[in-house]
Amino acid sequence: MSGNMHQYAFFLGCIAPNRYPGCEAAAIKTSQRVGIELLPLKGGSCCPAPGAFGSIDLNVWYAMAARNVVLAEQMNMDIALICNGCYKSIFEVNHILKHNDELRDGVNEVLKEIDMEYKGSIDVWHLAELYYDPAICGVDKIRASITRPLTGTKIAVHYGCHLMKPKKERHFGDTENPMWIEELVDALGAESVQYRNKMQCCGAGGGVRGYDLTHSLDITNEKMINLREVGADALTEVCPFCQLQYDRGQIEIKEKFGIDYGLPVLHYNELLGLAQGMSPQELALDLHAIDCKPFLEKIL
Amino acid sequence: MAIEKNYGNPQLEEKLRDRYFYTDDSNPEFLANVEKIGRTIAHMCFQCGTCTGSCPSAPRSSYRIRLFVRRAVLGLEDEALTDPDLWLCTTCYSCTDRCPRDIAPTDIIMAMRNLAFKRDIVPRNFLKTAQLIYTTGHGVPNNDVNRAAREKLGLTRDPPTTHGYPEFIPGIQKILDYYKLKENADRILAEEGQ
Repeated sequence: MSGNMHQYAFFLGCIAPNRYPGCEAAAIKTSQRVGIELLPLKGGSCCPAPGAFGSIDLNVWYAMAARNVVLAEQMNMDIALICNGCYKSIFEVNHILKHNDELRDGVNEVLKEIDMEYKGSIDVWHLAELYYDPAICGVDKIRASITRPLTGTKIAVHYGCHLMKPKKERHFGDTENPMWIEELVDALGAESVQYRNKMQCCGAGGGVRGYDLTHSLDITNEKMINLREVGADALTEVCPFCQLQYDRGQIEIKEKFGIDYGLPVLHYNELLGLAQGMSPQELALDLHAIDCKPFLEKIL
Repeated sequence: MAIEKNYGNPQLEEKLRDRYFYTDDSNPEFLANVEKIGRTIAHMCFQCGTCTGSCPSAPRSSYRIRLFVRRAVLGLEDEALTDPDLWLCTTCYSCTDRCPRDIAPTDIIMAMRNLAFKRDIVPRNFLKTAQLIYTTGHGVPNNDVNRAAREKLGLTRDPPTTHGYPEFIPGIQKILDYYKLKENADRILAEEGQ
């Protein structure tokens, strides 16, 4: 640990660095202001995508995810990440392999071919839970880091599925109506709003987005209807894949179903970045498919 | 006179046989395979339907998770693995969190998908993701628009993943080759003329 900073190996995954680089930049900068240092996890790959890889062959999924964990083990550091899909792969495989000798031996047999060994010596965290954890950061520290409160904005939260479910392999407790990300949003000076069926899936997971786009968008559309009902100014989430589904999905919904919602979708790190005074350019908000201007006008 | 437990009475055995649920194409090993791969207890299902009731895919399709669990229990392997609805699960795990029997229906689906892949039944988008990871390490690789954006943000043009350190890619290829994943993906897509 250098100084008072909590250090983590920053696992990037695919969609954050390759589609929404603002999420990556925001995570690195915002975390630094609350005492968390994210160091690059060199040579990390796709987590791999739990829907696609888990569906094809769970053994490949275990081995590929374990490889990413081993890279962090070699750095002697816990992993922090910013994507629920990555969390599903990296956290869950780490959890399974720690408790299942048979699968662990199977994985190590493969990893031996590339001179690696899974030891089970580190833990995996989502950056959002580190922000919420008072031992690491906590809501008060987040609140204290704010220079531009998001006063007067109504923000809805999408938790996403793979961060908290299945609950028996996680440590978050209630998955029917959690409120901890709302606390993190309220700490930014914004007003978090509740909407119907908050915990419903965004529709992208399990390979469904690639398999049947219309079906996938129909699920997203149901969420959008529920969000429109409460008049949210923006939707925030902690998963770039959910972000992709809501952000680009709204364009696809417009094309396929003819409904235009125009609801800005921001990763919690982007929101935190704005509240800490970062400019929309520093967050690459122009890469979002849905124009964030209506939201930005309320706070800038 | 009491009838022995093993009956020994062909007429009675025929009468008592569960004809409704017995079919010739039932594979008794299917349940065991699904439970092993999915690491869950499918046989505990009492068909309450909480899973289907929690499912975001159910209201907009003919996909019924409860039906798939029943198929697992009854060993209806062909019926389960050839049903295109198998691929409509978003793996949201709502059913798993709510199951009163502590089963993970989502993992039953994942196990069935694994078994379907062994028969070359798999949507092509899954295979294309596998091919991309084989060549780049990423399921969603970088592109030039994004490289320019990264540069403006003060990030490296390629992230410090396998993109920035391509020397890690051969290791990934070895893992995928160990399971013949690339080989199978290429073959299945070639047969489909993709």
